[in-house]
This record gives sequence, C-alpha cells and structure tokens, in this order.
Amino acid sequence: MKIRLQEDVLKDQNLAAAFNRETFKKNHTLVINLMSSPGAGKTTLLEETIKALRNEFHIAVIEGDLATDLDAERLRSLGVKTVQINTVGGCHLDARMIAKTLPDFELDTIDILFIENIGNLVCPSGYDLGQDYKVVVLSVPEGNDKIPKYPVMFRRTDVTVINKIDLLPYVSFDLEEAQINLEEINPQAQLKALSAKTGEGMEEWINWIKDAYRQCTKP
Amino acid sequence: MHEMSLMSEIIKIVSEDARLHGFSKVDSIVVIVGDLSNVLPDALELAFFHFRKQGLGMLDENTEFEIIREVAKAKCQTCLFEFTPDYRMALCPKCMLPNCLLVSGETFRVESYEGSDEL
Ligand SMILES: Nc1nc2c(ncn2[C@@H]2O[C@H](COP(=O)(O)OP(=O)(O)OP(=O)(O)O)[C@@H](O)[C@H]2O)c(=O)[nH]1
Ligand SMILES: [Mg+2]
Ligand SMILES: [Zn+2]
Repeated sequence: MKIRLQEDVLKDQNLAAAFNRETFKKNHTLVINLMSSPGAGKTTLLEETIKALRNEFHIAVIEGDLATDLDAERLRSLGVKTVQINTVGGCHLDARMIAKTLPDFELDTIDILFIENIGNLVCPSGYDLGQDYKVVVLSVPEGNDKIPKYPVMFRRTDVTVINKIDLLPYVSFDLEEAQINLEEINPQAQLKALSAKTGEGMEEWINWIKDAYRQCTKP
Repeated sequence: MHEMSLMSEIIKIVSEDARLHGFSKVDSIVVIVGDLSNVLPDALELAFFHFRKQGLGMLDENTEFEIIREVAKAKCQTCLFEFTPDYRMALCPKCMLPNCLLVSGETFRVESYEGSDEL
C-alpha cells in the first residue's frame, strides 16, 4: 500500500530549532550563529567582540568543533562561559545539539549567546539552530569567488563579515565586487568589512550587535 | 557531507510511520531533493544501499529507493518573470533587478513510501 507521507526530512531538527528559539525568546537572549570556512577568523572575531561588549553585556558561547576544546579555552580565558560541542566528524551543528547544551546555561542571565559553528561553507547553512541572526565570516585571503561558489550559504545569512581587511594590500580581493555579488544573491544581507586583528571596522560590527540586542529585547 | 545521517533520518521517519500503519516491511521510498538543498543524490543513494544491506528499520534486500529532483526556480517580484537561476539567485535576467524570491529548489522531503505486511 502506498502512503503519501510528504514529510520534511529535517522535521525533528526544525522542531528542535523552534524549541530553542522559544527558549531564547523567553529569556530575552540574543543569539548569533557564526559560520565560515575553517580559519576565516570566527574565534578571533569572537574574542575581540567579547572584549568590546563584556562591560555592557553578559555573554556566553557555544563552540562547535570536530575535535578539541582549543577554541573554547581561548574564550574561557576571557572569563566567558563557554560550552564546547565536539561533533566527532560531523560537518555542522544542528538544533538538537544546541538544545542539549541549554541546561548548562542560566539563560535568563545571558544577554548575548554566540554560537561558533563548524568551519564549513556548505552544511551549516542548512541547519536552523533557533538563532536570531546568521552571520557568515569570509576572509580576504579566501578570494572573491567564494560568494558565487557557495551561494546557498550567502543567501541564507543576514550579515556577511569580510574579515582580515588588513591583508587587502597583499592579496587580490575586491570589496566592491563582493558587495555586488552579495546583492545579486541576497539583497537583504548586510556587509561589514573589518579586521579582527587591527580593529579596523570593528565599531560598525559592534554597533550592529547592540542594535540587534535592542531589537530582540524589545517587548 | 552528511548524507549517511540524512538517509538514516529518512529510514527512521518511514519506518516509524510504517509501524503505525501496521506494516512489517517497506517496499519502496520516494524522496524529493531540491537542487539547492545541498544534498548530494549520489551520496544519498550510496547511503541507502549501505543501510539496505544492514536491513535498517523496515528495509529488506528488495526495498527500492527513488530520488525525484526538484529544479531551482526563482521569480522576479518586479516583473513576475520565472526562471532557473544561476548562482545569482536574486537577480532577474529580464529587468536586471536583484528582487527575486526562490519558488522551488530547496525541498528535501520524504514524498511517499510503499509498505506491506505479508511475512
Ligand atoms: N591578518 C589577520 N589574521 C587574522 C584575522 N583574524 C583572524 N586571523 C588569523 O587567522 C587564523 C585563524 O583564525 P581563527 O579565529 O582561529 O579562525 P576560525 O574561523 O575560528 O577557525 P576554525 O574554528 O578552525 O574554523 C589565526 O591565525 C588568526 O590569528 C585578521 O583580521 N587579520
Ligand atoms: Mg574557531
Ligand atoms: Zn524582473
């Protein structure tokens, strides 16, 4: 007998994402899901972002990596509550993994929760974690072609951070071209060019987070 | 790539539903995979063969698996032109405005399955 099921394969994952979103909302926690290819600078950006915000906000981090808690240790040394998820080969975080970590946090005391996803420009884009915003970090040495080559990632993110602009004099990367490529894929997306290393452009990024926080905690 | 875990999710969904219907065996599974879903049909099929050999869920050696591809389509919100986009998914090739929404290509779902209960 034939059964027309018509069921989303990611149904359970999406239910978990809805549960996470509900939980974050109840606790007035702004949640930002950071994605990029390996080494684009997610952890470095997080370190600098935390330093800029920690006097004003109570911040926590969920760190996703295939193995090790090296990145989590970097963030803990800043005095930030960080829970490490090791996916042991898994190429993305999913909402069920996030849901499992939530009891480790006192969410009602946390203003901003950052989630550092697995370094990968493909798989993480398909998994809603229940975040308020998805941010993709693209670093200048990776080249302009990454936006056209991974359009699904750039289409599904709210903000594209172009990191390592201190390296612009040494590698061929065209910021204007990146802006045009992004607009053709996702006209709603915002682009923030910065260097987590020198601090150039960081202010605009920090202000965006503060605005996002105000939006998310509005009654 | 994570097609192994996606395939085991599909088999779980189908086997659970088959149990509710009182079937003892799943004879075929049909899934729809959108071109923009980031799912690789070949890898998904390989994963299926692997799990079929293991007899996971209600699969047996005769269970069949079909993938229906869903092409990507975008529609311009300005001139209503519908087209298959290249990577510039928001750009209308007619009026050249970045004002298009995807209308298909992102689907990834179990469409149907066939179950039976003869032993
Ligand atoms: N020149 C320069 N280097 C940077 C910048 N940001 C990060 N880096 C360097 O890039 C390398 C990778 O940075 P990480 O922050 O570890 O990158 P990541 O995205 O967290 O990497 P994974 O977690 O492994 O995916 C490190 O050597 C950083 O010092 C920057 O703005 N400019
Ligand atoms: Mg990192
Ligand atoms: Zn048009």
